[in-house]
Amino acid sequence: MSTIESKDVHKIVVACDAGMGSSVMLASQLRRQLKGSSVAVEHTPVNSIPTDADVILCHVGLAARARATAPGVVLVPFQVFIGDPAVTRLVTTIKNGGTING
Amino acid sequence: MATPYTPTVHGTGVRATIQRFGGHLAGMIMPNIGAFIAWGLITALFIPTGWVPNTTLAALVGPVIKVLLPVLIGYTGGRMVHGQRGAVVGAVATMGVVVGADVPMFLGGMIMGPLAAYVLKHVDRFTEERTRAGFEMLVDNFTAGIVGALAAIAGVLAIGPVVERCTQVAESGVEWLVNHHLLPIASVIIEPGKVLFLNNAINHGVLGPLGVAETVQHGKSILFMLESNPGPGLGLLIAYLLFGPRALRPSTPAAIVIHFLGGIHEIYFPYVLMRPRLILAVIAGGASGILTFLVTGAGLVATPSPGSIFAYMAVTPKGGWFGVIAGIVVATAVSFAVASALLGFGRGAGDDSGEPAAEAAEAAEAADAADGTAADGTTPETTAVEINTTVPAAKEA
Repeated sequence: MSTIESKDVHKIVVACDAGMGSSVMLASQLRRQLKGSSVAVEHTPVNSIPTDADVILCHVGLAARARATAPGVVLVPFQVFIGDPAVTRLVTTIKNGGTING
Repeated sequence: MATPYTPTVHGTGVRATIQRFGGHLAGMIMPNIGAFIAWGLITALFIPTGWVPNTTLAALVGPVIKVLLPVLIGYTGGRMVHGQRGAVVGAVATMGVVVGADVPMFLGGMIMGPLAAYVLKHVDRFTEERTRAGFEMLVDNFTAGIVGALAAIAGVLAIGPVVERCTQVAESGVEWLVNHHLLPIASVIIEPGKVLFLNNAINHGVLGPLGVAETVQHGKSILFMLESNPGPGLGLLIAYLLFGPRALRPSTPAAIVIHFLGGIHEIYFPYVLMRPRLILAVIAGGASGILTFLVTGAGLVATPSPGSIFAYMAVTPKGGWFGVIAGIVVATAVSFAVASALLGFGRGAGDDSGEPAAEAAEAAEAADAADGTAADGTTPETTAVEINTTVPAAKEA
């Protein structure tokens, strides 16, 4: 269980199985929503999450693998690819400040 | 770990292990899909039965499939294990299984690339501590050269023939399934595997390489369409649009566009995981689609990736559109019909509060509508908890 303050978040990594499909889609949505903030959004395969990731977003079905690849990093699992409350709350927290648990 | 913010992380060890293994297989293929599509396009255009037959350009077909694609796979597999050095010895080692083989050595590349890189990784670990200052480059270049050469020799003499035999057995197994019209049963494994995020492993790790081998012999393959048919997912999403929980309906058109036109099938997996019995709809859709492909003799020349209708049209061989489109349409219709029945044709879609999925969906919408400001309310907690309850059920389905 790790937490991170929203001001310490510099890089969000969206992970999916291949890092080429759904993660690219969600990452581009997030980039649009976080436009104007200094947070970088990347997409990668869940097996090769970069070590400088501050927050990882991935589907609950892949969360166990994300945990294994990047232990200790804040992980926000989501359930649906469009309008998931976990994703919405992450964006709101980063914009308005607060603590992210994962 | 189950906080209001993040639902508990699911995934048993076994499931994650299978996913990870499959991910490695797909990870060797997927970065190279562009090369596969280039080969598919060249084949569709220039072979004697293609759109514009041309013997000069058709000379590309053989070497690309027999040498370039397996070596790219071995290169990528080596890079996954040991970076750039692993990639180089992986490519060299793959040449060992490529020469002298009659079948495209995709399986060979998937074995030799990571294996040679793994050996080099250990050799590097051994020499790293023992190399004197100034000799690093000499040692590095020659260890890679020696490991690569030995792996290539082992590939030619020992591993190549074994892998070729295995590839032939797998191919004749598939051929047997096709000839006995048993291929539709594959949907019983493929569709549940898909929604558990084994989609890439199944399509690119297993079916794709077999499909390419079949394409070399017959000019097209049905195997490319077993997993990637966008029909079952489309039928399911349309059923959700018309008869699903009311709260979910507004987001469904966007999901349909992303799934069917954009080819990102992951978008519909959550819709199955929410109501696990809907897996029956996509299985029925997938199986009837495959049956239609079989009956009409449909096939594609390369993996349609992503599984979008546009990618499908691009890799359909000349004159093959009827069967391909028919299979997608039939799969969509069957999946839609079964999913609609399982959703009770929308009866009680708005007030079936006893169903966790509907509640979760409503909660999702509520949180969405509140623009995330519902932090003080109970809505997000409900969401996290209810979502949790739906996921384990998916495994039993």
